[in-house]
Amino acid sequence: MAENILVIGGGPAGLHAAIELAELGVNVSLVERDTFFGGNPKKFKYKYLFPDLQPAENVIGELIKGAESNNNIKKYLSANIESFKEDGKKFSAVIKSSTGSETKTFDSVIVATGFEHFDPAKDSKYSYQLFDDVIDIKDLERMMGEGNFTRPSNGKPPKNVAIILCVGSRDRHVGNQYCSRVCCTVSVKQAIELKEHFPETEVYIFYMDIRTYGFYEDLYWKAMEEHDVQIVKGRVAEITSGPDNTVICKGEDTLLRGPFEIPFDMVVLASGMEGGPQSPEMADKLGIELDEHGFLKQANVTLSPFKSNKDGIFLAGACTGPKAIADAILEGGAAAMDAYIYAKKNS
Amino acid sequence: MAVEHNKNSERPVAEKGEHIIARHLIDDDAIKEEKNLVIDGVDVSGRWNTFIETRVDSEFDRSFFDEIQKTVVGSRINRCWQCGMCTASCTVTPLYRRFNPRAFIYMMQLGNLKLLKKYTDVAWRCVGCYKCSQRCPKQVNPAEMMEALALLIKKYFPEEIKSNHQLTIDEEVKKIYEGMILGHGRLDLANLHTSAMRKMGKTTELMSDKDERGAIFKMMKDGRALSVLRLGKPHKWHKSKDAIDNYLRHTGTLEQEK
Repeated sequence: MAENILVIGGGPAGLHAAIELAELGVNVSLVERDTFFGGNPKKFKYKYLFPDLQPAENVIGELIKGAESNNNIKKYLSANIESFKEDGKKFSAVIKSSTGSETKTFDSVIVATGFEHFDPAKDSKYSYQLFDDVIDIKDLERMMGEGNFTRPSNGKPPKNVAIILCVGSRDRHVGNQYCSRVCCTVSVKQAIELKEHFPETEVYIFYMDIRTYGFYEDLYWKAMEEHDVQIVKGRVAEITSGPDNTVICKGEDTLLRGPFEIPFDMVVLASGMEGGPQSPEMADKLGIELDEHGFLKQANVTLSPFKSNKDGIFLAGACTGPKAIADAILEGGAAAMDAYIYAKKNS
Repeated sequence: MAVEHNKNSERPVAEKGEHIIARHLIDDDAIKEEKNLVIDGVDVSGRWNTFIETRVDSEFDRSFFDEIQKTVVGSRINRCWQCGMCTASCTVTPLYRRFNPRAFIYMMQLGNLKLLKKYTDVAWRCVGCYKCSQRCPKQVNPAEMMEALALLIKKYFPEEIKSNHQLTIDEEVKKIYEGMILGHGRLDLANLHTSAMRKMGKTTELMSDKDERGAIFKMMKDGRALSVLRLGKPHKWHKSKDAIDNYLRHTGTLEQEK
């Protein structure tokens, strides 16, 4: 008899886990809260992915196609887990979707509920939502996805753009002490895209550290050496309105030791990643633990990063912490293996 | 080696360090040059005895860091990672570019007293708006760190402060201030203002200005003046008063012991 495995979340990690398990002949139930699969990359219409700037459609589109064409995967859209309880070594869950409620028994569970973009409006110093020309990376990503690179306020090409790193990350003041890992690379990627679209636009990146780790460093070098993107060391502490429909970034150039107040046509806030409301909700429903950062807690960050603190429930993707799409897909596969082994042993 | 200063020599000498190439790159006090000097009977007056102190820092003075960390206001010095958010938020920096909280914290972390000494004129200029502390991503509390800095400058460079900037405590203002706090538990800005005016000898201006008179009349009329007089004291004020009294007496004795 085939094993039954529940996958919660239809983003990159969940989709990849479901496809891998289905390939092994497992009966997979894939539960997604939105009306579509693809998670945040689909929701916010990511256009190109770092590091090789390949179309997001190549990756997310392939995953969605793979899941939709596989008959071993039972797909639930606009769905949620209404109730969940342990049943010996197995789990019993009520899945509520547009087609009604369904009670099923599973041998193991993979949680891949992902992350939420930090909302910069929570940090008032950046004046997000106060000025049209102050946007964040997900806004710019969506604009670029729609082929629109112009200023939101007047639809004209920006003369200069400021990209501010570490918004909502590495900040006790907003409550997120961690580094969101991908914003530096995403910002550098966006700087390149902006420069490719408008070569005349000056792009400045305000940084404290540039954490384009590993091979993502190539992208950062490329931004400076091929596209003349200028980096300025210092975190911006205030955004106010300026003359001629500009916004002023007030900060300190910590290398030259001095304050600056420079008007920009457009400001992009590199907002980080948060565990979102879904993480505590899952922890509560499934009886697993949250970590101190608001993400789901791994049993052992080094030895068993895909296990939760409860046997039979596994974790994959950004629900355990900020990570790149490539890492989320990789974790989907790894958690699928862990979940399969557990199901095989106990069925 | 006998070194004697040749007081009698009237030999004309160059200005200090005048012959040094790229003189403008070197601080005045880094140049050691005696106009008239005799070593072992040899007269080396003028450029022959010129020395330039090393411009390379040869140590980080961590004892200084420990000293700051022990104070209540400076206890979070180890948190600072030099992002510049404090200086960027600062009310004072746009007025005095040399007042830079981030740089001061860094100098304190590394115990660079030599550099701090150059800022005795601006180091105490924090106005306490706390914008920096509110925005600091590491919650260093830079505003209070500036207080630690001021205390430190007072301790290590008392002469600088006295001679260059006349930063002496005004006993009279101190008396008014303490009297207000102990008497009422709060500051009476109007009282401070008038006493300051009186102190500057501007007693006639106090009542002569049309606006000022108008304001006083207006406040009498709408009852605000009366409410100022009736100002209540904070809840259980006598307990706080005793504690402050005790503290002031304690610090008084401490200062006398010194």
